[in-house]
Amino acid sequence: MRITVLRTGGFGGLSRRATLETTDRPDAEELARLADQAVREGLAAAPMGVPDGFHYEVSIETGTSSATAHFADPKLTEAQSALVRKVLKEGA
Amino acid sequence: MNAHRAHSPQTRPVFCTIVPPHLLDQLSRHSDDVFSLPARRTLERDATQRTRRQIATVRHGLLAAAPATPDVDPADRKPQRTISDAEGKEQLPGKTVREEGEEPVQDASVNRAYAGLGATFELYLSVYDRYSIDGAGLPLDATVHYGEKYGNAFWDGERMVFGDGDGEVFRDFTLPVDVIGHELTHGVTQYSANLEYLGQSGALNESVSDVFGSLIKQHSLGQSAQEADWLIGSGLFTDQVEGEALRSMKAPGTAYDDDVLGKDPQPATMEDYVNTGADNGGVHINSGIPNHAFYKLAVDLGGNAWERAGQIWYDTLTGGSLQPDTDFAAFAAATTEAAKSRYGDGSDEHEAVRKCWSEVGVTAD
Repeated sequence: MRITVLRTGGFGGLSRRATLETTDRPDAEELARLADQAVREGLAAAPMGVPDGFHYEVSIETGTSSATAHFADPKLTEAQSALVRKVLKEGA
Repeated sequence: MNAHRAHSPQTRPVFCTIVPPHLLDQLSRHSDDVFSLPARRTLERDATQRTRRQIATVRHGLLAAAPATPDVDPADRKPQRTISDAEGKEQLPGKTVREEGEEPVQDASVNRAYAGLGATFELYLSVYDRYSIDGAGLPLDATVHYGEKYGNAFWDGERMVFGDGDGEVFRDFTLPVDVIGHELTHGVTQYSANLEYLGQSGALNESVSDVFGSLIKQHSLGQSAQEADWLIGSGLFTDQVEGEALRSMKAPGTAYDDDVLGKDPQPATMEDYVNTGADNGGVHINSGIPNHAFYKLAVDLGGNAWERAGQIWYDTLTGGSLQPDTDFAAFAAATTEAAKSRYGDGSDEHEAVRKCWSEVGVTAD
């Protein structure tokens, strides 16, 4: 599974994107579960968010399907928060 | 209040590709570039429209445009600050660590937030006779140490929230007093003109926060318009970043130019206006235009920027003539009208306001 996080907005209005390929990772299953949950708990379109809050767009792709979801600070679920942290830290 | 929530009924599963594949493709190929790639403009305008529709359904009711007149003796108008510590979690408000009147604590972030809230309260009260951000003595709340290496600060509608910075690009967000003033001014805007945080009205919302954020810094330092640096977020970047601040009101587009971050994308005039769907329609980008207009006005009038230039902007923001979807042209007209009302038709101030908008290419409605 490929997980991509695009973070936009924030005080600086700076964009940041990172992609994590889970194949061959020991935590692939856990990441897939986290990503599925984060997307399931997201929104179809970008919410307004709060002034200077980050906006996130998460896309997941497998061989056969893809899904995208949006959410914004500070209303992230545990799964969304954990996923974003992981992908922005370890993704490329 | 817990910022995390369980899977709530309002969230919807999304298993089809909502954003058109070609847009995702485009975005993925150009993600590291600056925001204004011409090829993205049309696609992103569509995205803005989509966001607008979404927002139309979730926007909550407007707050009263005029501040309430509090029945409090002016001598008793004091800030009521409470600083909380999120201790690295993303939960608000966190643990209370310093309340109004208490002595400084060991934690410098807490003390800076406390002092910055005080400086902001003081400017609004002493210069504009505004009693706290709602004009009615609203307590001022802030949370520091939000999240893990969190490189941001925001206003959540009720409180200011500061991260410690990621240590790579950003340092602690409580460091620059203009950042604190910026966030609290989002509160002032929410309780006055309530400018919608999208497109041009969103860029105006951002600009007003930059204007008063900078004025709070200038007022604290006793600097005139000529002496001020007109930078937003100076001291926020780590030494690894090639840049002096996040934005420059004096010279938008020149605040940073860095290998990792790219170049400051702010325009100074309408000629370089950026159409984008990202960042709520470029609210932190196109704010460069009204920011620069204010800078021009302040320098043209001379002296302390918070006096006449700031007064005109304050009158405009709180005067009740702005609509939530006010665009640059309508805002320019409103500032011109505010200058005329306060300083007289054909006064130096009135003429200077007209001139500053013309210099950034905005034609008043």
